[in-house]
Amino acid sequence: MRRLRRRSYSAPAWGALATLAVGSASADTPAPPDTSGWKCAQCPFLQGAEGQVEAGVQYATGANASYGRYTGLDRSGAYVDAGSSGQFRRSDGTYVNYNLESLGLPSREGYANAGQEGLYDLRIIYDGQPSRLYDTAVTPYQGIGNGVLALPANWVNAGSTAGMAQLRSSLSPLDLGFDRSTVSVLGKLFASPRWTLFGEFQRQEKEGTDLTSASFLTQAVQLPQPIDYVTNSIDAGAAWSGHAASLRFTYTGSWFDDDSDSLTFANPYLPIVPGSTQGQLAQPPGNTLQQLAATGTLLLPWFGTSLSFTASIGRLLQNQAFLPISTLPGSGLLTPGSLNGDVHLSHYALGLASRPLSKLTVHGSAAYDGRDDETTPLSVDYIVTDTFAGGTAVTPRYSEDRVRLDGGADYALLSWVRLGIGGEYQSTHYGPGQVLTWLQDNTSWGRASIIPLDSLTFTLKGGDGLRKTSSFDIAALPAGENPLVRDSNFAPREQVFYSLTGAWSPTATFTASLEGYFANDDYPLSQLGLRSEHERRISSTLTWAPRDSLSFYMDAGYQSLYGLQYGYVGPAAAPWQIADSERFWNAGVGGKWVASQRWTLSVDGLHAPSYDTTNSVIGGLTQSFPQNGSQLDSLHFTATYSRNAALQFNIRYSFEKYDMNDWALGGVTPSTVPNLLGMGLQPYHHNVSLFALTVRYKLGPSTASAPK
Amino acid sequence: MPRLRRAGVLAAFALLLGGVPPVFSADAPPAYSPQGADTCLGCHNDATTTGIFRTKHARPDDPHGPFGHGGLQCEACHGPGGAHVRAQGGPLAGMLDFGPKALTPVPRQNAQCLSCHQLNTAHDWAISAHAANNVACASCHTLHAAQDPVLTAATQIDVCTGCHQAQHTDLFKPSHHPLREGKMACTSCHSPHGSTGPAQLIKNTVNETCTSCHAEFRGPFLWEHQPVTENCDNCHQPHGSAQPALLTIRTPFLCQTCHEGAGHPSIANTPQGLPGGMPSAYLLSGGCINCHSQVHGSNHPSGRALMR
Repeated sequence: MRRLRRRSYSAPAWGALATLAVGSASADTPAPPDTSGWKCAQCPFLQGAEGQVEAGVQYATGANASYGRYTGLDRSGAYVDAGSSGQFRRSDGTYVNYNLESLGLPSREGYANAGQEGLYDLRIIYDGQPSRLYDTAVTPYQGIGNGVLALPANWVNAGSTAGMAQLRSSLSPLDLGFDRSTVSVLGKLFASPRWTLFGEFQRQEKEGTDLTSASFLTQAVQLPQPIDYVTNSIDAGAAWSGHAASLRFTYTGSWFDDDSDSLTFANPYLPIVPGSTQGQLAQPPGNTLQQLAATGTLLLPWFGTSLSFTASIGRLLQNQAFLPISTLPGSGLLTPGSLNGDVHLSHYALGLASRPLSKLTVHGSAAYDGRDDETTPLSVDYIVTDTFAGGTAVTPRYSEDRVRLDGGADYALLSWVRLGIGGEYQSTHYGPGQVLTWLQDNTSWGRASIIPLDSLTFTLKGGDGLRKTSSFDIAALPAGENPLVRDSNFAPREQVFYSLTGAWSPTATFTASLEGYFANDDYPLSQLGLRSEHERRISSTLTWAPRDSLSFYMDAGYQSLYGLQYGYVGPAAAPWQIADSERFWNAGVGGKWVASQRWTLSVDGLHAPSYDTTNSVIGGLTQSFPQNGSQLDSLHFTATYSRNAALQFNIRYSFEKYDMNDWALGGVTPSTVPNLLGMGLQPYHHNVSLFALTVRYKLGPSTASAPK
Repeated sequence: MPRLRRAGVLAAFALLLGGVPPVFSADAPPAYSPQGADTCLGCHNDATTTGIFRTKHARPDDPHGPFGHGGLQCEACHGPGGAHVRAQGGPLAGMLDFGPKALTPVPRQNAQCLSCHQLNTAHDWAISAHAANNVACASCHTLHAAQDPVLTAATQIDVCTGCHQAQHTDLFKPSHHPLREGKMACTSCHSPHGSTGPAQLIKNTVNETCTSCHAEFRGPFLWEHQPVTENCDNCHQPHGSAQPALLTIRTPFLCQTCHEGAGHPSIANTPQGLPGGMPSAYLLSGGCINCHSQVHGSNHPSGRALMR
């Protein structure tokens, strides 16, 4: 009786709590209506086909690799500008869609997909992505592309670049860059209302000439590196979705293949030892990644709680045959003949989010990531830069286990105040042979969101972080490494950060937003290495759309990054210092005006300079490097004239000017540095005007009909 | 009696915390419109609205979609519109509107979207940073547009950087991924609907994400470089950098944040090493990379110092 009474007394309270818990989920759900009379006769569904074709020409003046880096507009002249899109629908739910863009450029892309609603979907995608690196490169090397770089027959070897008598006459220009093309084929089969089977095959090819470098002891040379990479990938699996749970099983396989395993190059210097007339670099070896993953979500009936999980295991394998230990005559082969590299990857994660009270939300996740390198370490009698024997070393293997816990809670204290707290704990344990055995990184934060007016919102957030590590195992440092330096990723660190974001929308047509950020990272226990980093940031955006046909925007941003590091001078001397200060600005303005049924105009302007200042301090003497930086100015203007519903003319004009300063490149010729035969790469500059005129013609019904 | 009072206090406290739950409402369940979408289109027939009929949400033959057979059409998302119709428009009258400026609270908006999508495309939504920050689905997605800008690489960046303004500044830095040029999207690396990886990445780790495109750096190599195997972010700033190759710090200084050993790693590089002084291979062109070009790892038997 006593127990019963207690239960009955408590029942109202627990009942109320339970009500609160489920209150948000138990919305007033009316009975499903009788939709038999809902004909959707006015619905403008597409039946049949429609599409559009756009074709024209664009003409660029002043274009170069700097301008066309990712678009392929890398020379002055005319380019075809063409594209098309379309879709087709039948009443049985079958459909076809396609879209093609930038057909006249290496950055062309497109897709086509077909299927039947609710049954299957097939898709093929192509994406071309040029990457123009430099068109200012020159090199005396010949035979680029076959993996063996030779010097001209009359080449005069010398101890420094100044003595290479045939250097100037041997230089030939070449373009550095490559094209990345990706083809994907995807399929989905909706096997039942619950089950979906899916698969994707992707082939990515990367082909061209990159930049690499190598040395013979202290004499270096920059080299054109032919690249011909292919990565084939498969993602396939099955997904199940129920009323309150879902599961997804995925197999992922990725096979990387490099067409060439080495790059051999002639020594342009006087050989330091007899026979050191050429060197050989290893190219990236082919590798394979295979993973199995299960992910899922469970919606629990309490407090709107959802639980999600991921479990993934994988193996990364590499077993390409080794190159000879050196090109020096008499050099042998390493035994075994390949690495048999085997890295086990694992990822397990559990996430939870809940609303235990209508004003309180909580979320958190726990994740484990393991990288277990089970490759057998090898003992190698190595040769230094194809020049002389360096000794014997054992190849290090790096394994680590990482646990990450993060979570947070938000509470709506008042209708206009919302408070939140959160944090992240990350613990990493390193495998044997590394300088640390463990590292912990803890971050905590709090925030308050305030809505003083319906139109005004502020969020202030602040927090700190602390990274702690095990003692530094000096014995694990590479031979000759200074024990006073703390690797920046291993160094204990103290962080503070604050941010303020605000948004103001006094009317439905005007919005202003503001964001500020302040962060300091300090490495107090690092006598050498990275000592501190600071970031300051502020940005703002204004948008105003006084009419549906007229809109404007302005945005501006400023960011400042500062870093200070110390280096070793001597046991009794103050360390040298390098202080680097970077500042970035960006300001944009633009608008769009639908002037009439026929004319639409838009304009966008941008000004984005950056500055990078580096100072060195040695023995109390401060010296400044020349200021690096860049400045981007652009103006884009577009006018669209619609002759009728089917025919449209597009006129575009773009101006873009870009200037860059970089003391590591500017004015550095192939012979500037005595012990570096360079390629004369210069910082990016361009000053481009681009005119484009295209005609777009719409095909098919301009007004779709309703289904029968 | 004290127990009863305690229970009452607990109940009152619970109400204070949670507010009045909707189950206490005496209102009758709202009614649907008489003719579904045909009723809605009687007023809402502008191009901005009817663009949805070019999207997956309005396919009459999709059995899973709101316009499929027996579907609730507009009211599948916007809720029962009977009262709204009887009032001849005006107040929402229990219906839902969507977007950051909508009257409907964000959690209620999102619950409507998640009622269909949580168990497929958004299964990690609840643990995402966007959910924690009360971001509405419709803050990013424009459902009634024939082409949702956030689903196209060339226009997605404008949607994302509308809030992520720091990344907007990053776009114009000298070294950047081709987002500004429309050849990559934020979703090439990040999953805005949440993930169990760090920073809502699409893969389990930073390195798995990066090497899904840069597979040549995946290894394992005969000679590995520990910071590379651990995290690409140790050296690279993927959102943009003033330094070449998205490096966080220019070489040789980046390398010298870890390497200060006897000999040249500890050399204090000064402006005297520039052209006009005594041009230094430690400082110019690639700096340390001029010799140690295989910083991502080497499979050469003599690649111990990552020079082959």
